[in-house]
Amino acid sequence: MKYLDKETFMHRLDPRTKILLGFMVAILIVVLKNPSELFLLFFSVLILFGILRPAKSTVKAMFIIMITALVFTMISQGFFYSLEPRTIIVTILSPDSGFLGNITGGISLYREGIIYGALQSLRLFSAMLLSAVIVMSTYPSELLLGMESMGMPKRIGFVITVSIRFIPSLLDEARRILLAQRLRGLKVKGIIGWFRAFYRLLPPLIIDSLRNARRIALAAEVRAFTGERTKLKELTFSPRDWTFLGLSTAGMFMLILCQEILP
Amino acid sequence: MITVDSFSYTYPGADDPTLQDINLRIEPGEAVLIRGASGSGKTTLLYCLNGLIPHVFAGSSCGSVRLNGFTPLEKPLREIARTVGTVFQNPESQIFMMRVEDDVAFGCENLCLPREEIISRRNEALHFMGLWDMRCKETFKLSGGYKQRLAVSSIYAMQPNVFLFDEPTTDLDGEGRKDFFKIIKGLKDKGKTVILVEHQYEDYLPLMDRVINMEDGKIAENTASAKTVLPTREAAVLSSSSVISMQQVCFGYDRKINVLDNIDIMIGKGEIVAFCGDNGSGKTTLLKIMSGLLQPNQGEITILNIHKPALEHLVGRVGFLFQNPDEQLFAATVEKEIAFGPGCLGKKTDVERYLEIAGLKAKRLNHPQTISRGQRQILAVISIMAMEPEIIILDEPTTGLDNKTWHKLIALLYDYTDRGGTVVFSTHNERAASLAGRKITMHKGRTINDEISG
Repeated sequence: MKYLDKETFMHRLDPRTKILLGFMVAILIVVLKNPSELFLLFFSVLILFGILRPAKSTVKAMFIIMITALVFTMISQGFFYSLEPRTIIVTILSPDSGFLGNITGGISLYREGIIYGALQSLRLFSAMLLSAVIVMSTYPSELLLGMESMGMPKRIGFVITVSIRFIPSLLDEARRILLAQRLRGLKVKGIIGWFRAFYRLLPPLIIDSLRNARRIALAAEVRAFTGERTKLKELTFSPRDWTFLGLSTAGMFMLILCQEILP
Repeated sequence: MITVDSFSYTYPGADDPTLQDINLRIEPGEAVLIRGASGSGKTTLLYCLNGLIPHVFAGSSCGSVRLNGFTPLEKPLREIARTVGTVFQNPESQIFMMRVEDDVAFGCENLCLPREEIISRRNEALHFMGLWDMRCKETFKLSGGYKQRLAVSSIYAMQPNVFLFDEPTTDLDGEGRKDFFKIIKGLKDKGKTVILVEHQYEDYLPLMDRVINMEDGKIAENTASAKTVLPTREAAVLSSSSVISMQQVCFGYDRKINVLDNIDIMIGKGEIVAFCGDNGSGKTTLLKIMSGLLQPNQGEITILNIHKPALEHLVGRVGFLFQNPDEQLFAATVEKEIAFGPGCLGKKTDVERYLEIAGLKAKRLNHPQTISRGQRQILAVISIMAMEPEIIILDEPTTGLDNKTWHKLIALLYDYTDRGGTVVFSTHNERAASLAGRKITMHKGRTINDEISG
């Protein structure tokens, strides 16, 4: 999941709008109980995802993950659902079928369990898709800027920015160290072998990161870094943001009201 | 103007002073080269001029340093940064932001300048450094040369009068170095003071008004630099048997781009071969193919009489050394590091002898990461040698080494070939390549020159 360099409606929204939207969806995920409302929520998030016009491969990967997760949760919830009332669809092992049936209390597939599993999946997918929308439509530094202007301390923001910036080089380095070990004849066999390789990977990786951290600190010093600084980019809330936030809030209350009023 | 008067400095916890009785006067607009071996105090002198000493490194000092009429102690680092800008060796650790233009603005943001001012300074820096067209690029996607250019840009945008460069081109190839020459010339033409510390300084001499030699923490009085005694190799008896043979080898990471284009090479037992060429010429890819790390898309390759070998066939028989020794030292002590490879291969090895020839006997129980940079490079090579491979392949072993360490390293490699080994290495450094018996120059995936050197 990476930032998409595009100019869509979602890209043009202020990062804070998207963070707030995240909170709203989180509330709805907890509050909504009915299948139809939850489905509506999922469908709205899906539309936002569609606005990004993601690559086919991304959509495909998402789809596979979702279908797998959906099938697994439905089946596992179907078998282990324990709330009454519950309707048996099939019984695989009846409670009075000897020893196994006795200790397991019987194994049956329950209709309510399957529905419950589907609902849980809808909740999960709504959260997942929305995080994808936020990450894919917001440049990382702007997301941080948004969080900072919503009260996150600046120094923490800087630390996160720099850490994100160094992730690619850290991964490269780890890869080279593992390769160097192989070239010296180390054969990695089984889980224990992996643990030992990992254990040997850490000292050079950590020591080199510390050396690097020192170099970075000096480079920051000569660039006058003290924590207090002018922010070149300032976030502006445009009418677009207000409209979008207004509509989303209205939508949120509508969904909750529907659930409370409609039977 | 910079004046240094009878200045001495000792790092905290050190017994001996790193700088002793330094006297120096640098006029505005002057370009000065500082040269000297590793450990002669060049970098420390720069730290005294940019305020890192005493603001970051405490230590004790006597004498005085004055920059444009103030002492570094009087002003905080943030103020000094308006006068003196510093560019370090490793471009990787001087970039803070993910987008080029954001990184150029980084220093100015820290100076708390008004926003319009930052934007105009940023844009001027982007134009001046030729980065305007890539202002929206992600910083980690830039090449080494452009990363270093970016590091200079973000300092340039802070508009200091004095630029300090601490081995800025060590990690760059020939192309990158030529580029850097232009940058320094541009700064000089703008009337900036330039102080450059560099091992491979020859290219920059035409730009420099003055050369300062440093030796053991002192400024050496115009002594003609002591002649270095180059290691020599007795005419090697080359046997006719080839250990590496490649015919019409092609390779591309992507189907469209050919990183290697029809390579024909024969390397005989006992040879030392240097591959020269700029980044992107295919040197490293070629070395990786020779060591079995990559397989060619096309062509015939035979290494140590194995046709089209995979990595598994060559581990232990072909030793490969990556550029950064620090990523290849993972044992708990120096002696365990040497024993690591042979141990994995189930070979017996004479650790004592290797400690001896590496000159690391006294450090045998030290952690490999606590010995000096030059010693780490030597140790990494020795650890490969201890596996008794038939071929040793080194990717850019000269990066960041001073001449002394490089001469020691090449002497070890001479010794190794005398015992029947074969050495292949890549380098940006033409002079380093001249110490190999044979020099092959690469350009855009082809070998364009193959000559006996030395």
